[in-house]
Amino acid sequence: MSDFLQILIAAVAVGSTYALLALGYTLVYGVLKFINFAHSDVFVLGAWTSFTASMFVTQRMNVDPAHAPWWVGLCVLLAAISVASTVAYCIERFAYRPLRKSPRLNVLITAIGVSLLLQNVGQLTGPAVVRETPTTVTKAAADLTPAERASETTKINGEQAQVQVQGKPLATLPFGSSPRSMPVLLPDAVLNETTAATGVMDGGSRRGMVKLDKPVTLEEGRTYSLQTERLDASGKPTGERETLGVASPAGTYEKGTDIRTQPARNAKDVQGAAYTLTIAPEVPIRLLDVLIVVSALVLMAGLEILVYRTKLGTAMRAISYNVETAQLMGINVNLVISFTFVLGAALAAAAGFLYPMKYPGLNQPAHQIWVLLGLKAFVAAVVGGIGNIRGAVLGGFLIALVEMFGAFYISTKLSDVFVFAILIFVLLVRPSGILGTTVREKV
Amino acid sequence: MAATGALGASIPKHRPSSEQLLRTAVLPWFVVLVLAVLAQIVLQPLLGEYGAKVARQAGIFIIAAVSLNVVNGFTGQFSMGHAGFMAVGGYVAAFTTYYGSMVLYGSADKLAYPVVAGVTLPLTTGHLLMLAGIALGGCVAAVLGLLVGLPSLRLRGDYLAIVTLGFGEIVRVLLELSGPQMFTAAEVKDATVKQWLSFPVGGSLGFSGIPTYADAFWVFLLAAGTCLIAYRIKQSSSGRAFLSIREDEIAARAMGINLTAYKVRAFVFAAFFGGVAGGLLVHSGVPSQPSIAGFQASFEIIIMVVLGGLGSISGAVLAAIILSVLPEMLRNLAEFRLILYALLLIVMMLVRPKGLFGVREVWELGRGGGSGGGGGGSVSGGGGR
Amino acid sequence: MSNLLDVAGIGISFGGLKAVQNFSLSMPKGCLYGLIGPNGAGKTTVFNLLTGVYRAQTGTITLDGVRVEGLPPHQIAAAGLSRTFQNIRLFGDLTVLDNVKLACHLRGSHSMLATMLRTAGFQAQEGAITARAMDMLGVFGLERLAGEQARNLPYGDQRRLEICRALATEPKVLLLDEPAAGMNPSEKKSLAETIRQIRERFGLAVLLIEHDMGLVMEICQQITVLDHGEVIAVGTPEQVQSNPKVIEAYLGAAEPAAADAVEAGGAAAASSAGGAHGAA
Repeated sequence: MSDFLQILIAAVAVGSTYALLALGYTLVYGVLKFINFAHSDVFVLGAWTSFTASMFVTQRMNVDPAHAPWWVGLCVLLAAISVASTVAYCIERFAYRPLRKSPRLNVLITAIGVSLLLQNVGQLTGPAVVRETPTTVTKAAADLTPAERASETTKINGEQAQVQVQGKPLATLPFGSSPRSMPVLLPDAVLNETTAATGVMDGGSRRGMVKLDKPVTLEEGRTYSLQTERLDASGKPTGERETLGVASPAGTYEKGTDIRTQPARNAKDVQGAAYTLTIAPEVPIRLLDVLIVVSALVLMAGLEILVYRTKLGTAMRAISYNVETAQLMGINVNLVISFTFVLGAALAAAAGFLYPMKYPGLNQPAHQIWVLLGLKAFVAAVVGGIGNIRGAVLGGFLIALVEMFGAFYISTKLSDVFVFAILIFVLLVRPSGILGTTVREKV
Repeated sequence: MAATGALGASIPKHRPSSEQLLRTAVLPWFVVLVLAVLAQIVLQPLLGEYGAKVARQAGIFIIAAVSLNVVNGFTGQFSMGHAGFMAVGGYVAAFTTYYGSMVLYGSADKLAYPVVAGVTLPLTTGHLLMLAGIALGGCVAAVLGLLVGLPSLRLRGDYLAIVTLGFGEIVRVLLELSGPQMFTAAEVKDATVKQWLSFPVGGSLGFSGIPTYADAFWVFLLAAGTCLIAYRIKQSSSGRAFLSIREDEIAARAMGINLTAYKVRAFVFAAFFGGVAGGLLVHSGVPSQPSIAGFQASFEIIIMVVLGGLGSISGAVLAAIILSVLPEMLRNLAEFRLILYALLLIVMMLVRPKGLFGVREVWELGRGGGSGGGGGGSVSGGGGR
Repeated sequence: MSNLLDVAGIGISFGGLKAVQNFSLSMPKGCLYGLIGPNGAGKTTVFNLLTGVYRAQTGTITLDGVRVEGLPPHQIAAAGLSRTFQNIRLFGDLTVLDNVKLACHLRGSHSMLATMLRTAGFQAQEGAITARAMDMLGVFGLERLAGEQARNLPYGDQRRLEICRALATEPKVLLLDEPAAGMNPSEKKSLAETIRQIRERFGLAVLLIEHDMGLVMEICQQITVLDHGEVIAVGTPEQVQSNPKVIEAYLGAAEPAAADAVEAGGAAAASSAGGAHGAA
């Protein structure tokens, strides 16, 4: 049961990013009636811009990701959105717009071309934006290269010379090609844990053992953890925190008896620190998951309002019914279509920011993993009913559920196969998707 | 408006004379054979080992591009999983030859080529095994084509693109999950049923040691044969039906064309020959890895079709040759190759959306005003390619 | 059953809009009927129902004794019902000859294997199809354009080629959707002549949608008038012309109308027909 709930939570978090992505497919399909194959690449672009920006923030500006203020994440998100939107605008303007009256096949081929272009440009290694801190090496002055000799950072003391060597690139433009890990900028904590006891550490007799200042009972079948924070001389918290696992068997421990911790720390290290003994919940609900879901939902709600409650949204819907008539009604079709593209790209970039918060591994080449994510989102849009906003959201959650549960209960490696199996099944049974409506071609 | 000639309910037929039949039906096959022989005894020695390898590669891509052109070019359905069918055909063929050789000859080494009158003939029982494997691979690919095509071809074109894209990815994932390869005859002899059922083709490590029986003769025999067959189809009622579907589905239906039947027919045809191309590929010394089924591999073939002309067989042939040879010449630009292709694709759609030759063949370009078929009453293109 | 085509009470609605309801028609062999009505009256929808593009929700369609309602379009075409389109739908990239040859497909096609081997049977049939297609083009005076791409033809020739193509499927009933649209008076005149000719030569029943009242009144034996998806009048050209309901449908007033005035009135009637939904 707890497995089930944990997978459910993960699926909802991932599903909300799929839904954001699926919305982009559906929006563009709504106004232009074609599948924007490059959308998944815009998503990748969003993820990599987030990565580059957050590397810049954490390395250049020395912000600790674990204690980053909330606006740092927001700035990174905005950076991702603005880059992805700009690129999406250019794609629409220069690749798709000239083909608006062309046969569907040509537009499809162009979209594939754009996708291929973004993918492969993304794999070029550009100049470094952020490097590791430079190191200084000592070598014989005679061995210096002319460039090193001319450099201001080189210090020559007689025979010996100290040369500053540039650090390895951490983030490059566009993306670089080796696997990276995204710094998690959103705060994370387990929301539903309960506190069993608080107090001040009594210290310990030997390594890996701590003593608490009051008696405590560890119950059978529960997982405990001990969070400690050092206090300064006057008893104020210093912010030096540490989390230790509790490895002692269940039972009651009197004041002054040893409790084994994991990892085994020297008892002196935590002596005198304030502690909180918490009971880990069976199904942890993480703040990160909540934040991902909430931000996705906020964006979706915003989109819903935009599309159904504003003049611009009305124009978008009008174009989706009939471009010519919309034009006759005085709608600036080019502007609205561009806006729709940019909107879709912004949502994709947001998904590209949120997804690696949960799964921080960013692997290149992109088309293996990331484009597949985009493809899944597309499947979500089709399953929900392409062109239908609520359908895209529904489809996103549905696909994530199938993927996650399939991976857990059947096979991890086959989870992609399930997604496409669903696609084929839905196309067979209800080609217009769950919430979609059939469109008649005029004869 | 002159009203001449009575039109009856049935079309009167004029049987061709046997001489005419020989010229139009048999001679082209003979030409195919001659081309293949020339490739083996002239082209192969002339180009040297490396050049011949590139030439064989080009021949294999000709089969892939021409067969994909039947779906993407003639019929106007956009398949993006051709490499998936190639991989299926390739792995089945490789499986047949490799384990067949193990069982029959005790090892997967190439058999000695017979020498007749001082000429080394590329024909051993191993070659026959390869041909059987290729035929089997083609058939398996065709059956998969039917299974994928039947549901998705009823739908609009862009869905097909996604479904086939997914198909290629599924093939890749499944090949990665295949069982470990058996390397010795003894291992093969003792293999359990379970081991065979796991399809022991090496998983993500790839399938290695496949005997390289795909000599220039076989590659160009099959390549030229595929082109001839594709050209004949283009000039037939089926070919016209394919093209009409691409031009206007509603009008095609109104003319009595069963859309689904013809689309599936084109799709199965393409899958079969894609499988054949894959079969040759694995026997040509190219490492067989699950990634040959992926995305990128399909793109390369699509680019050949689009560049050559959607519907032009000779265009696809030319593009396949150019795009096989060019990367070899631009080795140090390898990084930029796909970027270049992508730009080419985009610019092509903006400037010349039907590809270089459109639906026409290279030799039809001279005729002004885009006249495709012969004007007279004769069956055009009788001389084959 | 003596009628070639019997249509009884067919209808379809799109959402809440009843595009066509209770439409009936009987066409004997060799007849030439007209179907008229203001824009948006549902004329093309009737064609789409007859040819299977839309599936009729009510009623029956009997073609030469065979029930065809609910069949897919290609089977209806095979059963002997062929049509042209209001907005020309030729296969633009194919040659004029291939457009017609394609339509011969119904009366003779061959297996993929025979195609690949180019057997004697295949060659004989291809030769026969080509000869027949050239013959058909001759009827419409298009034979000298046989090698031209269809998209490069002048407008009038495209219209004629479409009729030629429809005829090449050897239909029993031919449906023509505004064949004279965009033609000049002399072209119209020659078109009228051609329609009359093909009807006599092939023993077809022809159903014609046309806005040019002069043409309709001149060549049609019987006319059905549609308005708002319903039949409002059936009869000979004279009967229809003097029917007050018809005049009202076109002009919205009780003015007796000359043929020319009726055509002009079509545009005015369009606004009252509630948009172009489902019909056009």
